[in-house]
Parts: sequence; C-alpha cells; structure tokens
Amino acid sequence: MAGGEVEVVDLVKMFNEVTAVDGINLQMPAGEFFSMLGPSGCGKTTTLRMIAGFEQPTSGQILLDGRNMAFTPPHKRNVNMVFQNYALFPHLNVFDNIAFGLRRDKRPKAEIRRRVGEALELVQLTGMEKRKPGQMSGGQQQRVALARALVLQPAVLLLDEPLGALDAKLRKTLQIELKELQQQVGITFIYVTHDQEEALTMSDRIAVMSAGRVEQVGPPQHLYEEPTTTFVADFLGVSNLMTATARGESNGRCKVSLGEFALYAANGDVSTTGETRIVIRPERVRLEAHGTSGENRIPGMVERVVYLGNGNQIIVGLAHGERIQALVQNTGDELAYRQGDPVQAYMPAEALRVLTDTGTAPLEDDPRARPAVRPVEPIAEEASTPNVNV
Amino acid sequence: MSQALAPRRESEFGYTQRLRGWLGNHWGKPRFLVLVTWSYIVWSIVPVLVAIQFSFNDSRSLSSWHGFTLKWYTSTNPNIDSVFHSAELRGALEQSMKLAGLDVLIATPIGVLLALGLARWRGRGSGASNFLMLFPLVTPEIVAGVSLLLLFSQLLTFVPFGTVAQLLGHVTFSISYVVVIVRGRLFSIGPSYEEAAADLGAAPATRLTRVLLPLLLPAIVASAAIVFAISIDDFVISQWLSNGANSTTVPMEIYDATRATPQPSTDGIATVIMVITLLSVVAGVLVYRFFTRGESGRGSAIDDVAGFGI
Repeated sequence: MAGGEVEVVDLVKMFNEVTAVDGINLQMPAGEFFSMLGPSGCGKTTTLRMIAGFEQPTSGQILLDGRNMAFTPPHKRNVNMVFQNYALFPHLNVFDNIAFGLRRDKRPKAEIRRRVGEALELVQLTGMEKRKPGQMSGGQQQRVALARALVLQPAVLLLDEPLGALDAKLRKTLQIELKELQQQVGITFIYVTHDQEEALTMSDRIAVMSAGRVEQVGPPQHLYEEPTTTFVADFLGVSNLMTATARGESNGRCKVSLGEFALYAANGDVSTTGETRIVIRPERVRLEAHGTSGENRIPGMVERVVYLGNGNQIIVGLAHGERIQALVQNTGDELAYRQGDPVQAYMPAEALRVLTDTGTAPLEDDPRARPAVRPVEPIAEEASTPNVNV
Repeated sequence: MSQALAPRRESEFGYTQRLRGWLGNHWGKPRFLVLVTWSYIVWSIVPVLVAIQFSFNDSRSLSSWHGFTLKWYTSTNPNIDSVFHSAELRGALEQSMKLAGLDVLIATPIGVLLALGLARWRGRGSGASNFLMLFPLVTPEIVAGVSLLLLFSQLLTFVPFGTVAQLLGHVTFSISYVVVIVRGRLFSIGPSYEEAAADLGAAPATRLTRVLLPLLLPAIVASAAIVFAISIDDFVISQWLSNGANSTTVPMEIYDATRATPQPSTDGIATVIMVITLLSVVAGVLVYRFFTRGESGRGSAIDDVAGFGI
C-alpha cells in the first residue's frame, strides 16, 4: 500500500449563510499521520467530509496525488473513512462488512476471502467473521471499521474521531495501536479530533483549527513548545496566559512589564511592542522561597494546592494581580508550600513566549474541548477543584 | 421499647387517612396510577370479551349463556348463518381480505418510495409536503369518504364503485401510514450507513438495494402489517365507495346485521376480524423487533407509530 499525498487549496465550504470552512490550505505528504485538531464547529469534520466526498466544496481544490478530486463522487475516490459511530452495517456480519467494498469492486471470491482474512489479522480479530456488529464491544467494532476501510488499500485513510465513543483506558491503548498500524501499512492517515492529547500522542503533524481557519500547523512538539497564537497556546495543554506590555527588544529578548514588574521573554515575537500576551507552561514555572532575588521573578502567595497524583498544581496569586499555576512533580518529598505561603514565582526567560496575536479568543461552545483552567481569570471561591487535562 | 411504641403510633391515623396513604404514598408505589390504568383496561376490554364469549353461545341469545358451541363458526346447517358457510358472512370476509391484501401490495411500495423521496428532498416545499403527508391521518374519515365519493361519481366516472373504488380509497389513506413509519426509521438510521456504503465504492443503486432496503425492511414489514390491520378495520370509506351488492366488507356486514337481527354469528365474524387484526399487528411488531435486535436502544418508530395507527 502506498500512501497518497493530499493537498487542500483555498478550500471553502458554506452551508447557506454559514461559513464552515473559510479558505484553508493544507499539505499532507504521503505516509504522514496528519491530525486536524480543534473545538467542535471549527470546520475540521467538514474538511474531512469534503476530502471523503460527502460534501461538495463551495470553492477550492482537493488534490490527491496532484489530481483534483473536488468533483469526483465519494464512491469513485481512492480514500476510505472510519466513521465516528463506525457505521458498520448492522444487517451484515463482520466478514460481509469487510468484504462489502471488495464485492463492489467485483473481486474474485478467493481474493475476497484472502484479503478479508488478512485485514482481520491486521486488526487482531481473526475468528470473529460470523459475528454481527451488535454482538461486539465498542473497541471491536472500531477495529472492524478500520479493517473494512483498510482492506481496500486506499491511498488515504480518513478517521473522524474514531476513538470518541470509547472509554479513556481503551482509548489510550488504541491510540498506540493506531499509530503502530499506520506505520505498518504506511498510508496517509488524516485524523480529526477535538482531543489535544490524542492528537499530540499520534500525529506526525497537527493542524490546529478554529472558526473555519487553520491557526497553526506543525509537529506536536513544535505546536506545544512554540505556539504562535493565543488560541493554540490555550487549546494545547494548559497555559498561563498573561496580558503584558512589550517594551522593546534587547539581546534577542523582549522586555515586558506586568504592572510594576518587568520580565524578559526570549521566545516568540520578541520584537513586538505595546499590548501583548505572554505565555508560560505550568511545568516551566518554578516556585522559590519568598525573598529570593534575581530577574524574571514576581512575588506572590499560594492560593490553592491541588493534588493531582503525579504532581501538585499550585495556583499562585501574583503581586500584580494575575493568577498563574505551577506544576510541581511528585518526587515523594513533602511539598514545601501550603495555602497562604508567600513565594517567589520564577519564570525563566527561555520559557516565556510572546504571542503574535492578542485576538482570537478560544471558542467556548464545546466543554470537552475547552482547556479546563484559565489561571488568568479570577477563580471563584466556590468553584470546585480545577481539573487539568494535561 | 420501640416495639411497644410502634402499634400505638399507627392508631393515630384514621381509616380515610390510611387509605389516602395507601393510594398516594410519596415514597411507595404509584398505586393511584395503577388503579386508574387497570380501571381503563377493564372498561375497554370487558365488552369485547363479552362479545367474543357470546359468539360461542349455544343459543341465539346475546344476553344469557347457554353453553359452549362452535356452530356459529362452522355449522353447515342452512338455518344457521355460520361465519364460514353463510354466503353473506363468508363473502364479506373474502371482500375484506381481498381489499386488505391488495391495499398492502399497492400502498407499501408507493409509501416506501415516497418516504425515501421526502427524506432526501431538501428545499422549497419539502417542509410543507412533509406536513401535508400527515393530512390523511388527521382528516376525518367521513370527510375523506364523501370527497372520494364525489370524485368518483362526478369527475372520475370511469372508476366503478365497489372493489376498485374501495381499493383506491384504502390505498389513499394507507400510504400515509407507510410514509410515517418508514420515514421514522430512515431518520433513526441516519445518513451514515449510506455514506459508508458510498465510501466503500457502492454506486447509488447499490446503496439502495444492499444497505438501505435491508435496513428499512423491519419498518416496511411493520407498515405492511399496520396497513393490513387498518384496511380490515375500515368501515366508513368502504361503505361510501361500495356498490351495495357484492362489495360488502366485514365491518359493513356487522353494522347491517346488528341493526337488523343481531345473532351470535355477527359476534363470531367480529371475533375473526379482531383476531386477524391482532395477529397482523403482533406479527409486524415481532418482525420489527427481530430485525432490529442488537441495535442500541434508540426509540424505534414502530413503538411510537404502532400506538397511533391501531
């Protein structure tokens, strides 16, 4: 099976007056595990459905290995899809489900038997041929759906939140299996998800989408370490976003002021001036004893300590009024800070990043996709324990 | 100590209060609702059971019981109008079965195609047509009957009264039931199976025959059963569109016989027709359940519509 190269050029999809996909451009090289990540309503599923052929683009091109497929009906495209609800034919057993596409292709009986057998082996379901989808667990149905798509040896496999309906533990196992499977068959996977962890775990590259546009494209590490927009910083992992005033660049570092305090940020758009947003990940914030001196330190008070098992989330109210959170690994030692203790928050310049835009606020319509903690906003006293989805 | 207190506390309440407590205890079973439900069931079923009982009465009386017999069903005695041997009753039974059978054969395929079309149709007029599709279900039958009578007597005079006109009338209102049931099933199965089939290389015609029709089969069978049942039961339209002599259906025969000289065989034919109706509906529901077993417990259209249709 050879992977197919997919390219999306100026793709627009409008449903009546609503623009679902607003002119996006994406290149997905052959054999890549590419994810489209974003909250619901960001246009990721619509884009996937246009690649599959279920929706016709309002304008733009969809190129598969250089050929425009925008006007090819779905049953004539060399791409296959794994549906969110699997869409296994309930009236057919596993064998007939997987053989469905081969039969439409009028393959000889012996070849169908052999290829279905191979596909079942690939997804570790050998011996389940006679089962009906209704008699299988969610995880097994998911594998049948994969086998049904892969048996046709498509150039590209499209996956629409295929793990969404499974429980957390099974999802983790299948994430790893999916990635291994993709490397084994070597074809292009285009994966749609709202789950940032899923995207980070499996993808070679991720496109973070918001409101019908692509915010940033890059490998997981790149997106996590070097987000360019507020949306990406906030959507991927937990971020401390702070509003600051940039005072200009010196020695490759940007001097920013937060209230009466000054910090140096060494990453991102360091040459900017004026109102801006800076970001630091909780695991990069270091807490030190009160009174420690040095640059990039702001005094504050521990407002809350949340035990997470593998670490402690410490919410610190900084002297200039904003709240940030720090993540302290659980090393077995007793935590040095308690609620009410004065501390010094050290935010190293190389961990502070100046964001390009100050605009696009994250969409809040999908609670699943929303990062759980926004330390820059005041946390209500009666709010329950903030949960962290990192 | 507490054991000694318990009975004394019980006596603090009077009988009326205790009855109220038994019926309407907030923490207990909803006994009042159970009572109302069973009262209604008894009220609605007992008269029917009595009618059935007297079809087995060894006497012409419909009020006093004289022992069990099957003669009102099977007797060949020319003095006894038995269900299966009296020319009128037997003819009525045959006419009813013929109408219901043809109705199923004609209305079901048309209804399925209409449902498919209406489910696909997006745009101007689709909402209105979906709504108007329900019209035959809510139009008073007497109005539908009169309008068809006028249509066939004034405008479409080539349609002969009797079986042909009756059949056209039955098909007219039956189609709506098929459409409603099949469309409900179409909505509950959603577009994803068809999309999956398209994705796997199936052309539109193959999607219909290999995926959509098998998935619709339970709804098709169920709607056929319901069409059969309502056609067998129909009185008003059959009456308006009959030609008098040989297009008498069972409900018409029962009506005429009861007005003239009610006798046990009238109850007998009513029993037969009721059993047929019941069997066809039960068969429809069972087939639907059989084909949809193992599907996740989404509310099935038949559960909603079966109650509406019968």
